[in-house]
Amino acid sequence: MTRSALTFRQSLDGYAFISPWLIGFLVFTAGPMIASFVISLHSWSMLSPPSWVGLENYQSIITEDPLFPISLWNTGFYVALSVPLTIAVGLALAILLHNKLPGMSFFRTMVFLPSIMNIIAVSVLWLWIFNPEFGLLNSFLRWGGIDGPLWLQSETWAKPSLVVMSLWGVGGTTIIFLAALQGIPPELHEAAELDGAGPARRFFHITIPMISPAIFFSSIMGVIGSFQVFAQVFVMTGGAQSGSEGGPNNATLFLVLYLYKKAFQEFRMGYASALAWILFFIILAFTVLQTRLSKSRVYYESHR
Amino acid sequence: MTRTRPITALLCALLLNSCGSNDRSDSGAERVSYNCAANAVEIKSLQAEIPAFADSTGVEISLQPFSGQEKLYAMIAAGQPPDIFYTNNVLRDKLAAEGRLLDLRSLSAADPFTDRLWPDVYRQGLSADGGLYSIGNWSFTAGVYYNKELFDKAGIPYPDTSWTWNDLLGAARRIAARTNASGEPEHYGIFIPSHFIEVFELMNGAPVGDQSLFLNFSESSLEIYQQYLALMNDRLMPDLRRIQAMGMQASQLLQSGKVAMLVEAVPHQVLFETLTIPWGVSPIPRFGNRPVRCFRSESGGLSISSQTANPEAAWKALKWIIAGASIYQPNPVLRDADFVAGWEARYPVLSGSGFREVWQRSLNHPAGDPRMFVRFSSWTSATILERLQPMLDKLWARETTIESLVAAQPEINRAARAELTRLIQRGRLDQKFVEAIEEQLRKASP
Amino acid sequence: MNKARSYDAIPTAWGTLARSGAVYILLAAISTAFLLPLAWMLSVSLQDIRGVFAQPFVWIPSHLHWENYADVSELIPLGRYFLNTVLVTVPVLLGTLFSSSLVAYGFSRIRFRGRSALFALCLSTMMLPGQVTMIPLYILFSRLGWIDTLWPLIVPSFFGSPFYIFLLRQFFLTIPREYDEAARLDGAGKFRIYWSIILPMARPALITVALFSFIGTWNDFFTPLIYINSPENATLTLGLNMLKSQIVGTGMTQWHLLMAAACMVMIPNIILFTLGQKYIVKGIAMGGVR
Repeated sequence: MTRSALTFRQSLDGYAFISPWLIGFLVFTAGPMIASFVISLHSWSMLSPPSWVGLENYQSIITEDPLFPISLWNTGFYVALSVPLTIAVGLALAILLHNKLPGMSFFRTMVFLPSIMNIIAVSVLWLWIFNPEFGLLNSFLRWGGIDGPLWLQSETWAKPSLVVMSLWGVGGTTIIFLAALQGIPPELHEAAELDGAGPARRFFHITIPMISPAIFFSSIMGVIGSFQVFAQVFVMTGGAQSGSEGGPNNATLFLVLYLYKKAFQEFRMGYASALAWILFFIILAFTVLQTRLSKSRVYYESHR
Repeated sequence: MTRTRPITALLCALLLNSCGSNDRSDSGAERVSYNCAANAVEIKSLQAEIPAFADSTGVEISLQPFSGQEKLYAMIAAGQPPDIFYTNNVLRDKLAAEGRLLDLRSLSAADPFTDRLWPDVYRQGLSADGGLYSIGNWSFTAGVYYNKELFDKAGIPYPDTSWTWNDLLGAARRIAARTNASGEPEHYGIFIPSHFIEVFELMNGAPVGDQSLFLNFSESSLEIYQQYLALMNDRLMPDLRRIQAMGMQASQLLQSGKVAMLVEAVPHQVLFETLTIPWGVSPIPRFGNRPVRCFRSESGGLSISSQTANPEAAWKALKWIIAGASIYQPNPVLRDADFVAGWEARYPVLSGSGFREVWQRSLNHPAGDPRMFVRFSSWTSATILERLQPMLDKLWARETTIESLVAAQPEINRAARAELTRLIQRGRLDQKFVEAIEEQLRKASP
Repeated sequence: MNKARSYDAIPTAWGTLARSGAVYILLAAISTAFLLPLAWMLSVSLQDIRGVFAQPFVWIPSHLHWENYADVSELIPLGRYFLNTVLVTVPVLLGTLFSSSLVAYGFSRIRFRGRSALFALCLSTMMLPGQVTMIPLYILFSRLGWIDTLWPLIVPSFFGSPFYIFLLRQFFLTIPREYDEAARLDGAGKFRIYWSIILPMARPALITVALFSFIGTWNDFFTPLIYINSPENATLTLGLNMLKSQIVGTGMTQWHLLMAAACMVMIPNIILFTLGQKYIVKGIAMGGVR
């Protein structure tokens, strides 16, 4: 058998395995994605036929729109805060829960509980927690003699408040790390211990490299997900109350919330699609950067 | 493995069953879909009465109780809009201009039903081109709810229809006089949510711009802003930002005894059902010698899709929803409905609460403004609010001044003008609407 | 870290005990913070509507309104919605597990032309906000005649979800290749290796995916909101939303009922997670490659 024949056979197998996704992509995803790109070159109210405007939408977003830089900054701020914190807290919790002690399954459930709860219930809950007058958080602070901030209504605290809320849902990341920790053969730790490696050394030289694929996953998905933060902001600082979408002085006007407003409140789907594609390329750039930076740091057993 | 097989088969069968087409057998009735923003109680009540309505009229209403703007847009874009749906004023004008809504004039002209509506309800459904694109399905006014205990404690008589703004201020001041160790009033005098300021602007004589496309701060509006800030500066009212952003805050605030008075919508089911303190409600006070202006408002109304297969049936269904379905009766948009008595029967607490007086005043409103909550015409409201709202937020946080608000007005109006020009140039609007907009542009010379 | 090392240096049971104690205290504190909101939900679900608005909030009401739970089932056809939700969740779970793991295997274990490019493409589909593809997708589904059916909620899961493909790929990559080689020498084909080597070894990851997929679908709100019209076809989350008020004046949010419903809807998730998480930590030792 020649080499190229082997590669051809290999490729065929590969395509066979990924065919579910490939077909799904061609049928359900590619069309709408291309459509949205084409729409971004049009002015379209979703009701009447679109009219061609070329790159005008992109041009006015970048050169004229005063809210674009604001929403970009807000989004960047949120990503920069929430992604590293989620990974750090998720990892810390996973390591705590990885202890082989009785009762761990109870604590694992506790940590995961918030991720199980329904978003409608959760958002109502957090509105109450953050309420400056009657909320849980400020009641606690008052108890400690501190006059708490306005949280969601404060320009300074609105974004951190949302980060805190996202940290509450860290259970998902924790579970992924927990699953990854199972893959570390105990012999590795035992051998290192025999060699005199302390816990810190073992953590950085065994645990971290062995679960680096999961960390890589969480950081990529964290960036993709938090750049598109929408649902909780929509429910909590916008949506229901007209006029206050985007929070105090637009402090929580994130990119997706902004493009949602453009699309469904101003009926400018072309403009919204252009915003979405700009966001797409921003996320893509970050993902490529992350992949480059982590190339030498992510350890894949199967690549040895 | 083998044991799970019957279960799998059952699941598949159920799945096929419920995923199958919706071609339910028909008794020849005309089918009208109604996309309703209603809660479970309303849905249940509507569902119970739909068969009887179908029997008497041959129109079968199918409820679509899951609503949202994205959903509606997707349905319209896919060419499958519901026959009847709720539109607010902004959405209504946009959809009407794109030819998506049925002009109800021909249906309503010959129908005695229209005579049962209050004239303002009918007027409000009219759009820029003179077409009638929605029928208001509910309306409300505003009032000052007050905590009787706090008034008794301070020895102040309860507010009544004769009150002026100064009476209100005086009462608020006396109630807020007593402070705690940190200098905060034990009870605040009043709380006015910021979206109710417009009511006071109107009471103070601010002009009513029915189709105003541009921002125009009147003297009387700016005066109210000043007063509103003074309420917070003088600690008669709690800091706006402390209170905002919670669906249930209004009721909580009054219930907690933190404020003695609260401006809110009338009727307000949440307040009626949840307040356990003794309370009353009185009309919005007038300003000095200025005439009392009355308002009733709707957030929107019911529209019929222009693509509906059977306009007659849809119109019948729409009328029934507004005037027939028992859950919405007595409906305040109807002249012949005894709204006050109906609600007093539903909520005994309303008898003698002042509810009757507040509502009575709202009925004398030939010169009133039915658009209390809609500040700008739909065409520019998004453009203006997008710029104005952050400034107002800053103003209430006392981080900016009224002067800089006024100074920003030309800039904001330039953006509104640009938006209008863009709309016209896009060339998709109905000619009637283009003319209406162009006329407005001419009227407001730069 | 120094402290931890010093514990290590103590060769007696005291070190372990102190360490376990610290772990418990930490976990108890964290759990309380995570549990508090749930406690609030439970408390509200057992009060009447006035209790929700009471100031200050009463955590343990003097009279427990268990009838809220009955009232919910009277207002909303919970049985029907439960069935609909199961009819969506179970196929989605199976479809996701099978298709995503298959694709992840292809992306992680087989070298083929265009693999990195296609994988990048797969990831990139997650980078475009769904809000702008929603309308084209809706039009597509409406052409298929799937509006107001459960199909749009189910079918896409059979074509792999990029999130789970990526997650599983990461886990498959940590499995040493020696296992594949050994199996190949025994004459096993690629599908055989996938099915009897990779899947059993990746059990913690598969359970994780199963839990995520179940819970995500169970709680999904936006997809059914868009595609479902008739009350008969609604899922539980849509039912929950019906307890929220829509228009001022004519209806109000039944907070107590909403929370009672939310508590009920959560139960299957809690049961499933409690069962599932054991398998995540038992991991390979349980499943075992013989």
